[in-house]
Amino acid sequence: MSTSTVSTPATTTPVEKRSALAPLGKPFAAAGGVLGIVAALLPWVTFSLNDGNWPDKSTLQFFDAPFAVTGFRWHVLLLGVLILVAAFAPTPSKGRVVRALGWGLTLVSFVNVAYITVKGGGLGAITALDGATAFGGIVGLVAGVLAILAGYGIGIEPVGEWKFKVSTPVAYLVLLVSFAAVLYAVAAMLTTGGVGTSNPYSGAIFLSFLGFAAGVLGALSGVGFIRWLSALSEQHRVFSVIVLAACALLLPFTEAGNEYWMTVAANIGIYAATAIGLNIVVGLAGLLDLGYVAFMGIGALVAANFSGAATAHFGITLPFPVAAAAAAIVAGIFGAIVGSPTLRVRGDYLAIVTLAFGEIFTRSAQNNIGGITNGSNAIPGIPPLSLFGNEFNKSITLGAVKLPAGVLYYILIVLLVAATMAVFANLKFSRIGRAWIAIREDEDAARAMGIRTGKMKILAFLIGATLAGLAGAVFAHKNGTVSYESFKFLESVTLLAAVILGGMGSIPGAVLGAALLFVLPEKLRDFEDYRLMIFGLALILIMRFRPVGLIPDAHRRAEMIERADENAEEAHVEAKKA
Amino acid sequence: MSVLLQQLANGVIQGALIALIALGYTMVYGIIQLINFAHGEVFMVASYGGLATFTLLPDDLKKSPAVALPLMFVGGIVVAVLVAVIMERFAYRPLRNAPRLAPLITALGVSVFLQEAVRVWYPNATSNLPYPKVFPEGGLTLGSVNIAWTGVLLVGLSVGLSIILQTYINKSRMGRAMRATAQDPDTAKLMGVNPDRVIVLTFIFGAVLAGVAGVMFGGYLNNINIDMGFQNGIFAFTAAVLGGVGSIRGAVIGAFIIGLIKTLAGQYMPGGTQYDYVWIFVVLILVLVFRPQGLFGEPERVRA
Repeated sequence: MSTSTVSTPATTTPVEKRSALAPLGKPFAAAGGVLGIVAALLPWVTFSLNDGNWPDKSTLQFFDAPFAVTGFRWHVLLLGVLILVAAFAPTPSKGRVVRALGWGLTLVSFVNVAYITVKGGGLGAITALDGATAFGGIVGLVAGVLAILAGYGIGIEPVGEWKFKVSTPVAYLVLLVSFAAVLYAVAAMLTTGGVGTSNPYSGAIFLSFLGFAAGVLGALSGVGFIRWLSALSEQHRVFSVIVLAACALLLPFTEAGNEYWMTVAANIGIYAATAIGLNIVVGLAGLLDLGYVAFMGIGALVAANFSGAATAHFGITLPFPVAAAAAAIVAGIFGAIVGSPTLRVRGDYLAIVTLAFGEIFTRSAQNNIGGITNGSNAIPGIPPLSLFGNEFNKSITLGAVKLPAGVLYYILIVLLVAATMAVFANLKFSRIGRAWIAIREDEDAARAMGIRTGKMKILAFLIGATLAGLAGAVFAHKNGTVSYESFKFLESVTLLAAVILGGMGSIPGAVLGAALLFVLPEKLRDFEDYRLMIFGLALILIMRFRPVGLIPDAHRRAEMIERADENAEEAHVEAKKA
Repeated sequence: MSVLLQQLANGVIQGALIALIALGYTMVYGIIQLINFAHGEVFMVASYGGLATFTLLPDDLKKSPAVALPLMFVGGIVVAVLVAVIMERFAYRPLRNAPRLAPLITALGVSVFLQEAVRVWYPNATSNLPYPKVFPEGGLTLGSVNIAWTGVLLVGLSVGLSIILQTYINKSRMGRAMRATAQDPDTAKLMGVNPDRVIVLTFIFGAVLAGVAGVMFGGYLNNINIDMGFQNGIFAFTAAVLGGVGSIRGAVIGAFIIGLIKTLAGQYMPGGTQYDYVWIFVVLILVLVFRPQGLFGEPERVRA
């Protein structure tokens, strides 16, 4: 059983197995890096595709716009150079970094090659056809695979650990630069491949960019930078939150500052706030909730009924802050009710109880229980919010700058997310948060230590539901319609997936998870039909290969790694016996 | 009175269907403590497998139910077993020693994946598909109560198969291995039981029963759709919990109780059939809160 002290993983790692690839590590890395650079300079497609030229000129005219972030050949070039640098400079955890970069290169090459082949109608598109040759894609793939193998050859060591401390001003500077980079990356991610369906290649361009981002992030995490940065931001929590909020508020001024992306970003924000609430229940207290979206639905219904919409059940119109508070309180009360079985039920059974509550909500809302949900007709025509006569869904002019429509909603939702983050962070590091974590680790031991487990578990449900209710109230006004359809089981699973994908118990993780899960469908309209299937598959793969999530919480990571090591040691001992 | 009797009969038939699915849940949970959410989808996939088998038959065979019907059962069962074995091998087995949350979430993923795979790849799966009329038509009339022959067949199959299963688990060598693994996997291993084989076999048994249930569901209701798996899966899981997870007898009795609650609540409770679903969940919550070990289960062991 793991203890609460965070031990360094390096001390418990069993002896590294030497791979047969070991002597080939460096040469493979060199070959991979060079071939990556060569691939970036070679043509990738032998002819123009039906929908026009492959993005960023698939011929040698690449140097027209070498610094465009969206150019996949720029990414390939960069990855190639980085592989060489990582392999021959003194890099911590070299194998891991090279492997991650190799994966990035492979993914970028694969996405482009696959798309060109399918759209161009055969392998001729990426080899030789009618006198034109285009081997860039194949060379890129080979380079990527070589780099992955090189990573294993060099040896996969534990993630590098940066022990040095920095003074506060330097830390502030690092955080500022890092978050600005995050803002830039987010804007790039949103605008890559154009808005909506304007670009026929948008889906593929986006996937390619995602491959690049995954490679670079993997490398940064392998080298130990991400861990160091998250420790740093935890140390300077207040500053980080302020900078992060400021960065988020600057998004409308970037490339992504148009109505479409403001709307999408606002939707992501609503789900991110809800996901943070769920993270309290699942991530901190360790109580699996499969009906969580119902609380958001309850909040939305309360707000809708007091909004003055034509089909609202009550003839009263409350100002938004009051209605939102009412929504939060009602959702919180339901949260406490749903949480009350936790006094007697544990683990999987609790998950089923919450699932049952969620289904009862959906079924009741569908049948217009008490006349307050309007059944399958939904409650349409909820008026948009307004402040000083500015309707939130219209564009506003600030001095000389004209901001896109929906920007006020965006700002409101950024503030909402910041508020939920603040609540989460404060709870996590308080007496209550420690009690929750103790319950998650071992409920009986926590009780023995004097924690009133029942009260604490209900409190987790209550606070989580309150946050969801608040998000639901904003959701109702933002979308203008509240229907039970938006709060079904699949939404609960999506939220849960967002929390798990991002990393349980981690705040940036929940936001990142929600962003990925709700941006992807916008970006991948080409694959609309396969969206949910990919989602299901993604859940399986995450649990298999990275159960801690993308940005794991430090404590939980220590716990998982220790446990994995214990298992490995056991297996080792068993193997010796046999 | 005649309404009550009719609803009781309907409830028993519903219960028989649920029992076939519930056995899969209860056996898997009994051995590896996994709520296999995807089991409901195995049932759904089997139903489509049976339908596909019928569609692929040559025309003259389609006209003779005596040949077509058994072939449909075989087709449904084969598809269900394949899906279950692949699922166990590639989704659950790698997570055998992972924290308990991981396999549960994987099961949710498998469930979403299977449902979507059928929706996207099976022709016209987005709408209700009619099931072929190869089942015996008409029915039995007892006084004022009408029972379709498919209903009788369903109850017969359900009760018969669960008795065979119970006997197999209690009497056979492999059954003993299964019980041993359920009680204590490590000790069972020391006694020479191969846990991987036992677990795969458990999944196969569950899939066979789900396959039978899938084809019979189509025969009894004449229509299938991709949502049937989730809904009936939840009913079946409730039945398994009600009877005490891990107990074969409990699952069957629990299923009949759930079937009766569904039809009787639809008839007599306020809200009618629109709320029958809700009452099942109310029962589920009450059972879990007040008697988590179910009617026939052993008291829950305290788990961290």
